[in-house]
Amino acid sequence: MNTFIVKDLMVPLSEYATVQEGSTLFEAVLALEKAQEEFDYEHTPYHHRAVLILNKDKRVIGKLSQLGVLRAILPKNERTQHIEDISRFGFSTSFINSLREKYRLEEGILDDIYKKATRMKVEDYMQTPSEGEYVDEMTSLDTAMYQLVIGTHLSLIVTRGDEIVGLLRMSDVFAAVFHAMKSGELTE
Amino acid sequence: MQALEKLLDRIIQRVNINLRELGFDVTPYVRELIPRMQMFKFYAFYGITPHHPLNFQFTHSNLAGSYFLGKCRVTNSLLYKSDIRGDELKKKGTVFQFQEFEIPITRDEQIDIEDSFLIKTLVHNYSHDPETLEKFFIKDTISMHYANIHGSPSDGCFLGPFSTVDMTTMHDCVIGAFSYIQAGEISHKKIDPGTVWVRSPDNFNFLYRYEYNRLNKYINFTAGNRPKGLLFDFVEDHKKEFERVFALVNIETPRSVPGSASLDRYAVIKPHTKISENVLVAQRAYLQNAWLGKGANAQENCYIINSRLEGYDITAHGGKIVEADLGKKVFVGFNSFLRGRPDARLTIGKDSIVMPHTIIDISNPLTIPPDHIIWGLVTNKHDLETNSMPINDFSKIETKFSLGNMIFEGNGASFVSAFRHRIDHILEANGAFFNGAENKGHAQKNQSISFNTIQPYPMGELKGLYPSIIIQP
Repeated sequence: MNTFIVKDLMVPLSEYATVQEGSTLFEAVLALEKAQEEFDYEHTPYHHRAVLILNKDKRVIGKLSQLGVLRAILPKNERTQHIEDISRFGFSTSFINSLREKYRLEEGILDDIYKKATRMKVEDYMQTPSEGEYVDEMTSLDTAMYQLVIGTHLSLIVTRGDEIVGLLRMSDVFAAVFHAMKSGELTE
Repeated sequence: MQALEKLLDRIIQRVNINLRELGFDVTPYVRELIPRMQMFKFYAFYGITPHHPLNFQFTHSNLAGSYFLGKCRVTNSLLYKSDIRGDELKKKGTVFQFQEFEIPITRDEQIDIEDSFLIKTLVHNYSHDPETLEKFFIKDTISMHYANIHGSPSDGCFLGPFSTVDMTTMHDCVIGAFSYIQAGEISHKKIDPGTVWVRSPDNFNFLYRYEYNRLNKYINFTAGNRPKGLLFDFVEDHKKEFERVFALVNIETPRSVPGSASLDRYAVIKPHTKISENVLVAQRAYLQNAWLGKGANAQENCYIINSRLEGYDITAHGGKIVEADLGKKVFVGFNSFLRGRPDARLTIGKDSIVMPHTIIDISNPLTIPPDHIIWGLVTNKHDLETNSMPINDFSKIETKFSLGNMIFEGNGASFVSAFRHRIDHILEANGAFFNGAENKGHAQKNQSISFNTIQPYPMGELKGLYPSIIIQP
């Protein structure tokens, strides 16, 4: 385990799902699906779970996760905002869900989902990476693990100097740790 | 004068630092709100009684027109026409019950105000926070006109006009105008105007929110402006009468006041008012053609005009009752505004509970039957259908309920019981049940009170600041 460095486990940028700034949410979802189909699953069983957003200079300016897509397509209007506000006042989850259920029955939550996704621009919903989400490709895996855990990140953007070269996914780090555990069990 | 300006800057900065996470800047709300001339125009005064510890400490503060009773310390603060009423503070040697803990009180509780700016604010009751039992602190806090800080320690907060925080410790919060919060402890919350929230974790949770467009008619407070709306205009319209009672050194108590009742010399009493036995009328209360039956009370900033209260009625701090008839033991919560018309009277049946911050403003006669609970905004019979219900029905709620803009989760019986218990406690504390020998309360104890006045520096660099003063027996 302690001999691994980040670049040993990262997914190269060329294999990751990416879209240009200005793309729609629907185009991002298609890009994710395509990347998942083309990905080489020989070394890892895990699917991609996010799309990187690139600017015209091919630099990463944001990340759109599956959670981000779901968040984007949920309706946002006065009534849903009202329910979100109520949740700040200490009501139970089951109570808040009963309000959402009532809303769903009366107005529907996921109608026109395709139309919505073709109107939304990725940059409006992407997450801009914070300083703690970048890691140099030569960093040891042990150190990168700290960065994932302390920052509660699902992935880190891997750099080589000023260049972004890939992504270190939590799922791959977990798989490596799990593999090391099993190896230890066999040798003892 | 320079010292006063520096003090205001210091308070604004400290509150802003606390509220930076909420992105709230208090500066435009308070910077020019009170003309500086007003801040050295009025004297401050304190009460001396044999029933409350005498211990006042004022340091580097302006106290214009403010009133103090009980054990208070004020440091680096501006208090404008505020009431710091420490007659319910915990006493040394008593025991505070919190859940299964019995916590001994080792010294008299003190209201401790530091780096704060309170405008026409009432501070009353005692700290309900088990972590700070002997110090009821108000620190780095700004509160606007007619706010109530009731048993609620506060650190780094802004309270809008006519807001009330009741038995709730607050850290770094913004409380919108006309909001009522009773929630135990809150932090880093921005509460919208017109929110009425009563929560007891694991027991019940009541939430009502006024619609902005309807609330604006009654209270509207925006940056850079004085509060506006019917509530503010109503109070301002009666201001002149108070100037007279504050200007007079000696004022005679009307002969018709029974020996067991207490009528504060800083209350305004207009003709045709009837005060019965065990009635308590606090300072800054306004009575005009008001009939107060046995054990009724009118607390600070209350207005009772052309109205009849049958007896044991509570008009909590800031309650206003106009052209109305209330049966026995009707509770009118904080800052409620109940207004009938001469040709359209409001009648509320006995044992009813008018929730804090309720507005009933009618132009046709309206009768609310006995044993009802009323909340929110009621302007006609139609509104009443979605803003009230029989208390008995409310008590039957077991899990959740909603009606109009009100939502409730928890046990209705527990909610009603908490209110009933509190109503009885208030009546008892106010001396409503005094029988000539036992059950003395504020109505009887507050009769033996004398007042002293204190004044600020009249000119120079310290103009407007009061000299550091320690007043002890």
